[in-house]
Amino acid sequence: MTNIRKTIPVLALMMLATPAAMAQGIMGGHVTGNIQIDGQISHADSLIGASDVPERLLTNSRADILYTNGNFSAGLRFETYLNPMLGFNARYQGMGVPNFFASYQNDLISVTAGNFYEQFGSGMILRAYEDRYLGLDNSLRGLNVALRPFPGVTIKALTGVQRIYWNYNTQGLVRGVDGEVNLNSIITPMAESKFRMTLGAGFVSKYEPDEFISSPEPGYKLNLPLNVGAGAVRMDMNYGNWSLQAEYAHKGQDPSVMNNYIYREGEALMLNAVYSMKGFSANLQAKRVDNMCFKSARNESGEMLYINYIPAITKQHTYAFLNMYPYATQTTGEMGLQGDVMYKIKKGTLLGGKYGTDIHINGAVITGLDTTTIGGAGTDGYTSSWFKTGDLYYTDLSIEVAKKLSSALKLTCTYGYQIFNPIVEGHHGDLHHNHVAVADLTWKINKKNVLRFEAEWMGSDSKYNPDVDDKRCGDWIMGLVEYNFSSAWFISLSDQYSYHDGNKANYYNVSLGYNHGATRLQLGYGKQREGLLCIGGVCRQVPASNGLTFSLTTSF
Amino acid sequence: MKRFFLSVICLTLGGIALAQNATLPQNITLKALDGSSVQTSAIQNDGKPIIVNFWATWCKPCNRELNTIKELYPEWQEETGVKIVAISIDDARSASRVKPHVDGNGWEYEVYIDQNQDFKRAMNVVNPPHTFVINGKGEIVWQHASYVEGDEEELIEVVRKVAAESEK
Repeated sequence: MTNIRKTIPVLALMMLATPAAMAQGIMGGHVTGNIQIDGQISHADSLIGASDVPERLLTNSRADILYTNGNFSAGLRFETYLNPMLGFNARYQGMGVPNFFASYQNDLISVTAGNFYEQFGSGMILRAYEDRYLGLDNSLRGLNVALRPFPGVTIKALTGVQRIYWNYNTQGLVRGVDGEVNLNSIITPMAESKFRMTLGAGFVSKYEPDEFISSPEPGYKLNLPLNVGAGAVRMDMNYGNWSLQAEYAHKGQDPSVMNNYIYREGEALMLNAVYSMKGFSANLQAKRVDNMCFKSARNESGEMLYINYIPAITKQHTYAFLNMYPYATQTTGEMGLQGDVMYKIKKGTLLGGKYGTDIHINGAVITGLDTTTIGGAGTDGYTSSWFKTGDLYYTDLSIEVAKKLSSALKLTCTYGYQIFNPIVEGHHGDLHHNHVAVADLTWKINKKNVLRFEAEWMGSDSKYNPDVDDKRCGDWIMGLVEYNFSSAWFISLSDQYSYHDGNKANYYNVSLGYNHGATRLQLGYGKQREGLLCIGGVCRQVPASNGLTFSLTTSF
Repeated sequence: MKRFFLSVICLTLGGIALAQNATLPQNITLKALDGSSVQTSAIQNDGKPIIVNFWATWCKPCNRELNTIKELYPEWQEETGVKIVAISIDDARSASRVKPHVDGNGWEYEVYIDQNQDFKRAMNVVNPPHTFVINGKGEIVWQHASYVEGDEEELIEVVRKVAAESEK
């Protein structure tokens, strides 16, 4: 590792010193990369839940350095967490080069040795991925091969172990194969058909050595499966304006801390139907998930070592208050339905006006399963009904109308209604009913000066209770002004305030940023709630804090 | 460590000019909107410039950018022959929304989905939107992260220059 750390600066200085040589590249190849440095100086604030930071300054940084030469590429990632920023797991503390890989790709084959990210279908049996803002990296270290023997046919095979913070879970082996066929490419008469069809299937197996897990029956231990398999089949069908995607996954007995060591098999079904044409689209999504938590360590209860990924089908909102109560997938069991309609009212009509009007409606309902308990650890756990729903977990309805008022003004108005069950965050309580209204106005004064105003309101029937200490409770208002100038600078001022039934916290924020090419520098001062934040042209996840924050990102 | 951070700063300042001749990766697999797989080598425009834009359905500035350019695209095409390739980095959660989103907005771009984000990583994209201009030889000649109203003017200026150079 020492050698690698020495190599990076040398490489970097070489690049800087010899731009002429760089244009030719190193040995005919190219070095590219990206760097991100985030930091914060945060002070304790019990009102918003910001904790004391004894080390004063916290920084996360990473640098991805990539070398490509024709079909060959290799890369490494340097990370530091000195110490990890608020919201990141303390086990990240330290620095090093946790990820590296070498890869060869041509028309027929792709081979990667080292760290890789991979996904079979929609990821219901395998998804190795990262989300740097959430501090998640489930990358596999091992060997990943993809073969494309004929056009339209892809076969993947992989084996590896998963990253957990700075280590690798070498006890838990993950092996998988996946195949996908596009029928239009291999069946000649279908080549030009309006009917397009792709079929796929995958299988993943994990191995863990035996361990002692005591049975509720005194004197016995659980007979654990050492190999656990999961398989999935999927299809993607298109005909003219219609398309349909379906995927079904099944998992063998997999007793783990996540399902309280029950032996029930898992399954998941996902359906998505779309009708779309220019200016109009509608889609309907349904899913049912039952005991599908799949990890490479039986006793890992945290957010790491997931082999699979069950996506939430609720809309990913960007406005602060619509995103105040985000929904998290319940991998142990849930059913959901989601509908989405987008419609563009044409220019020159009564409602469309001079520029047209965009309407976007989205709705989702998520419930638990209707289950009957059989027993605890060592048994099948429960039975569930396929079509009956359990408790309501989440309801989300949003209507967005966007309209260009003139060549300089654009207004977007959104109304949202949400019902949120605190059980999805692991605690019992009353359902929260929230109404949200947002007005977002962009005023392009001229080519170099743009102002944006945002006003949000949230009315909720939840009241702040110091015992539960959910700081989101109550009614909220928010205002934001953002000024972009010279296409490079931006400054924004915002405040969120729980004015009624809340804990009266004021989340004010001042932000200053500079964009140049692929480099971006941002400074902020204020109090921040955890959530997805979009300012000055970029969206990112931020942890709760009180004080100064800074961020530098660049790609080269 | 000091040396490392020094280099980081140097790199930041030295930045983009250095890797000017890097080309578009050729063999990364993307999904077309009909569910079939496409290699990045299929991103071609007969020697004319290409704009490669990384976006996501949930990213407001991305949508503002692509909606603004939508109105200008026919003129841009006529003037410079440019083609816009919009790469969605929507993951398993929102990838199924990409087709309805593109059609609902009436976008006429060539759209691919980079669900496993292999292309995003290979192009060193940190946050969407991130826009690249590719010249007729497949070289990455310009890139820009983020979008505010008016950025499209700089983008088309770059495309005009690239188009003029490739005609020489």
